[in-house]
Amino acid sequence: MSDNTQDSPRGTLQLVSRSTYVKEWLLKSLFFACAFMFVLAVALIFFFVGWKAWPIVTQYGLGKFVGGTTWSVSKNSFGILPLLVGSFVVTLGALLLGTPLAVGTAVFLSEVASPKVRAIVRPAVELLAGVPSVVYGFFGIILLRAIMAKLTGTLGFGAVTSWIVLAIMIVPTIAALSEDALRSIPEGIREASYAMGATQWQTIYKVVVPAAKIGIIDAIILGMGRAIGETMAVLMVVGNAPVFPKSVFAPLSTMTTQIVMDMPYAVGLHRTALFAMAAMLFIFSMLLVASVRLLSRLRD
Amino acid sequence: MHQTSRLLVVALILFALVPIGGCSRGRVASNTVIVSGSTTILPIAEQSAEEFMKANPDTQVLVSGLGSSAGIEAVSAGTANIGTSSRDLKPEEGKLGLVDTPIAYDGIAVIVSPENPVNGLNKEQLQKIFSGEITNWSEVGGENRPIELVNRDEASGTREAFKKIVMGDLGFDPNAAVLPGTGQVRDVVARAAGAIGYISAGFVAPRFTDVTVKALKVDGVAPTEENIASSAYPIGRKLHFLTKGEPTGLTKKYVDYVLSDAVQQGVVVDAGFIPVAEGGK
Repeated sequence: MSDNTQDSPRGTLQLVSRSTYVKEWLLKSLFFACAFMFVLAVALIFFFVGWKAWPIVTQYGLGKFVGGTTWSVSKNSFGILPLLVGSFVVTLGALLLGTPLAVGTAVFLSEVASPKVRAIVRPAVELLAGVPSVVYGFFGIILLRAIMAKLTGTLGFGAVTSWIVLAIMIVPTIAALSEDALRSIPEGIREASYAMGATQWQTIYKVVVPAAKIGIIDAIILGMGRAIGETMAVLMVVGNAPVFPKSVFAPLSTMTTQIVMDMPYAVGLHRTALFAMAAMLFIFSMLLVASVRLLSRLRD
Repeated sequence: MHQTSRLLVVALILFALVPIGGCSRGRVASNTVIVSGSTTILPIAEQSAEEFMKANPDTQVLVSGLGSSAGIEAVSAGTANIGTSSRDLKPEEGKLGLVDTPIAYDGIAVIVSPENPVNGLNKEQLQKIFSGEITNWSEVGGENRPIELVNRDEASGTREAFKKIVMGDLGFDPNAAVLPGTGQVRDVVARAAGAIGYISAGFVAPRFTDVTVKALKVDGVAPTEENIASSAYPIGRKLHFLTKGEPTGLTKKYVDYVLSDAVQQGVVVDAGFIPVAEGGK
């Protein structure tokens, strides 16, 4: 904000005309207000959720809440361990299933595909990223669940069904970001590898992918963020039983789906427990964002 | 697409209630009745609302199904004019000052896949199945196949009524799949050979779907309309309209309309329920 230097934009603008300067200042303030409102909204949501969730610590006990194994409204018992495990199982399985597929797609798009093929595959992947999650849920409950029910003789709800639905959902996110990471590797590095006599495959897995490692991990973390927070699609295929699942084909429940199931009628401590669960999800996503930031600092 | 009614309803409430409740409460409320609650009562409330709006242009009856507990919560909080419930009020809800108008009788049918050879169970077997004690169909005279339990969410009046009549003090097996709507339970049970669930008897054979389920006899009695009306079928309950204080104005007009012969003998019977005057004998 020093206007003693002749070539600062503000100084120059002031020389141009008074009204231009005012306009510029107004626009600058507008953009600042936009950004500020965003920060304010996040802060307000955080405080609201925290405020609504706090009684769980004072009235119920954090240990009983996080470590309790029974979620039962009628018994007034709100232990979220089965739901935590559920969220973890669902997310991890989807990542294990989706990551190889996504990174493979990214490598194909950035290293192997001819421009023509790329022109078809890339928009398809991007389109997949834009499909609303409830559509995936529909696909999951109508088609996938019925197939799983036939194959396994169970109801078709469960971890495996949710893995497949979630994997399809997170592949576009991870693939698009990984591809960006791969393409940001300078061409010279590939040329150097070829010059050493390496084949294309050797160049990909020994040079390009390791060089883009941090960017790919970034992509996977963001995919994980999407998976852990996903609600509608998961709600329709997990079966919503708040227990440790007996098998990967047995109904289970996650934190997000339990919030949606219970919110319409929750009162008192039950409602508080749901807010506390929301706060935990908030903390998880903050941790994920923090780790992404840390990684990009590492990359720089 | 009945199984999505609850999801749709969440969206509808967000879209419909925000402008009405938020921006112009006083003005719109006089010609709008908001009906919220049980998914079992949804067909009665929806179809009679349609007829009611045809007969009374300029009025609006908004119907949603989120479960009985949600309906009771909504009407006592004032976000709905009528809360619909497929269960009786719990003791702690008696203090909310709600006025109960029974609108129909209904049985709860226990349903299985049509592939399942079992045709009937007694109440004790049902209790053991839904509490997780009996886990294989061979224990109740069926094939050697694991029993897959399908339960309703805790907001459901059907669940509450089933629990009260069948389960007694025993709790439901927490490993059961929990589904948020009557239609979804029906759809899932129809397509899974080992599944068992319970839904309103009015929903066993609705006209809008081609997937079939089999309703079991309970204690040897089939959930037919006659058996439910005569209370021979053991799992029956009342369906309620709840209002905060005696209904007034348009709300009263709508409640009276639902109780009129036209609706009772028309919509209520068509939907597979028992008119309130004939039930509970």
